[in-house]
Amino acid sequence: MGGDSKYLGLWYVAPYVIGLLLFTAFPFVASFFLSFTDYDLLSRPEWVGTKNYEKLFTRDRTFDKSLKVTLIYVFTTVPLKLTFALFIAVVLNYRLKAINLFRTAYYVPSILGGSIAIAVLWRYIFADTGLVNMVITGLGGEPVNWFGEPSNALFTITLLRCWQFGSAMVIFLAALQSVDKSLYEAAAIDGAGPWRIFRHVTLPLITPVIFFNLIMQTVQAFQEFNGPYIITQGGPLKSTYLLPLYIYDEAFKSFDMGYASAIAWVLFAIIMVLTLIAFWSSKKWVYYAGDKRS
Amino acid sequence: MKLSLLSLALATTALATNASAADLRMSWWGGDSRHLATQEALKVCGEKHGHTISPEFTGWSGHFEKLTTQIAGGTEADIMQVNWPWLSIYSANGDGLADLKELSGIIDLSNWDEAQIEAGSMAGKLNGLPVSTTGRLFVFNKTTWEKAGLELPKTWEDLIAAGPVFQEKLGEDYYPFEAAALDASLIMTLYGTQKTGKPLIDPATNEIAWTKEELTEAIEFYQKLVDNHVIIPWKQVAAAGNVPLQENPNWAAGKIAGTYQWDSTYFKISDPLQEGQELVYTDLLSQDGEKTPGIYRKASMVFSISKNSANKEAAAQIVNCLLNEPEGVSALGSTRGVPASTTARQQLIDAGDIEPMQIEAQDRVINAKGPGIHPMMEHPDVRSALQDNLELFAYGEIDAATAADEMIYAIEEALEDVRS
Repeated sequence: MGGDSKYLGLWYVAPYVIGLLLFTAFPFVASFFLSFTDYDLLSRPEWVGTKNYEKLFTRDRTFDKSLKVTLIYVFTTVPLKLTFALFIAVVLNYRLKAINLFRTAYYVPSILGGSIAIAVLWRYIFADTGLVNMVITGLGGEPVNWFGEPSNALFTITLLRCWQFGSAMVIFLAALQSVDKSLYEAAAIDGAGPWRIFRHVTLPLITPVIFFNLIMQTVQAFQEFNGPYIITQGGPLKSTYLLPLYIYDEAFKSFDMGYASAIAWVLFAIIMVLTLIAFWSSKKWVYYAGDKRS
Repeated sequence: MKLSLLSLALATTALATNASAADLRMSWWGGDSRHLATQEALKVCGEKHGHTISPEFTGWSGHFEKLTTQIAGGTEADIMQVNWPWLSIYSANGDGLADLKELSGIIDLSNWDEAQIEAGSMAGKLNGLPVSTTGRLFVFNKTTWEKAGLELPKTWEDLIAAGPVFQEKLGEDYYPFEAAALDASLIMTLYGTQKTGKPLIDPATNEIAWTKEELTEAIEFYQKLVDNHVIIPWKQVAAAGNVPLQENPNWAAGKIAGTYQWDSTYFKISDPLQEGQELVYTDLLSQDGEKTPGIYRKASMVFSISKNSANKEAAAQIVNCLLNEPEGVSALGSTRGVPASTTARQQLIDAGDIEPMQIEAQDRVINAKGPGIHPMMEHPDVRSALQDNLELFAYGEIDAATAADEMIYAIEEALEDVRS
């Protein structure tokens, strides 16, 4: 291979690389610089050193509240969603009639889930006179104030995210189908019941996929925006005011781009640390095929 | 030969017209009726002046963020519909937008009075021409009030006395009024303005004009409305999903029988009402010993021209056509409220294009008295200072005095940010 063809590959990847540099790398670096400035979008950024970070950590009560809410959201949503996705994947792994129909049906919410329309629909379903309360009162219970009670509002947002379990489920399903059937047969011959087989054969073998889903879902949960923005607008009493909403408000409502960038970098640092912890802990519980430890 | 010369002259004229023809963009927010009317008006005005105008329109939500990002990047449209309080954000020193006084040879400014020109000016530069004037008014569902056997209220005491009557005669889910979030904070500021005779933020000094005690009393007034079954408690409003009034089934059914809204929103809130119900404007409710009726009045929106526009003169021709010339005025109609331009207003009244209810509401807004409104009252940080702390108070998380303290602290911080 010589002449022009030597650079042909570069031409092929150029659109992606240019896009990556312009729309990801540049904003990434720029936001770090901006986090040390006072920048209102309309005038030139003014260097303020670590002032934004000092304010963030010493006297911003909204940040404290928002961070707390975000951590509660992530630590409830991710385990709930992964457990549910794995449960459904196990069910759909059985040879049932019309299994493909079920698999498609369960995946549909993931296609629709991120859309604004579904968030609006959620608002009506959980409203005081909505479908959920109609069912509860129909069964003789008391209606629940889903959006007005701070402790319930975050739960409705969590449910919306959990409802979009399809993508995690499909990955789990693929992993379940790749487990060597002879291992199940051997375990059954040794007298293991279904739960034991699942606990001691299936689970260890799909840990790489659990780990992958854990990382992806955690990162996505930290970036949740649509649900609280449309359904509760961060309220009541900022009980659903996740950090991405706070970043958005600071950037595009208060025009404090410098401060918004500082919050974004703190969020990035939190995600980074949690991901590193997950990677570190993975040595103890994730088993890869061919790994000498397994 | 004569014919050839004439042809040449005509061709030259045509070329000259084409040479001055400009490709412009205009951006605005609004609802469907405004979108359709504005597109039609742009077509008519474009044809009249030989320009092509690309429309860029959205709903209200997110328009502020979009426009700000465009202005920051220098990619804003040539002509923009700008919310009045945003002028101080985009052009605090008057240089952020084109000075329309420099285009007064094209735009007939004599259709606006001095106060209106002043309202659209920043640091002496006319950055936006008021399209219409708007104000908050009380509007009541007369049908429901009659069902309760009550006259429409004239004072706050009348309104407060109506709460228990509604509850007893019509049922627990009937309320004579509504106020949550922004509406609640505006009711609070109205009550305080009437009581003190001063606006919360003084436009002359850029300082908070109320004492902590005065603000505390205004906050407590909100609770009085809740306690007397006048308005639905904040928590209950949130339970319904914070739906806007016009989407609230209880409003449509007449179970909520009063509100405090911009006069320009009459059709928005009257359209969803079930048949047989009548909405009526009243004067601002008064209180004993009030120092002012406290009307909250402002330019509802302005038309601005970008300072970066390569065709400011062409853009000015279109602005003048939309606001002053019969073709543009007729096409726009009253989709942005009753026009501020005297020529346009008269034209629409003569043509019967403004509903009597709109004229009545506009007259109430124009004739009512009240201190000037500081643009910072609509600054996101000030709004959030008022609403967030009122919400905490409404949920019983803090008392009125603490809420007042927090509001003052946050508003002062916002004022300080703008000053620096």
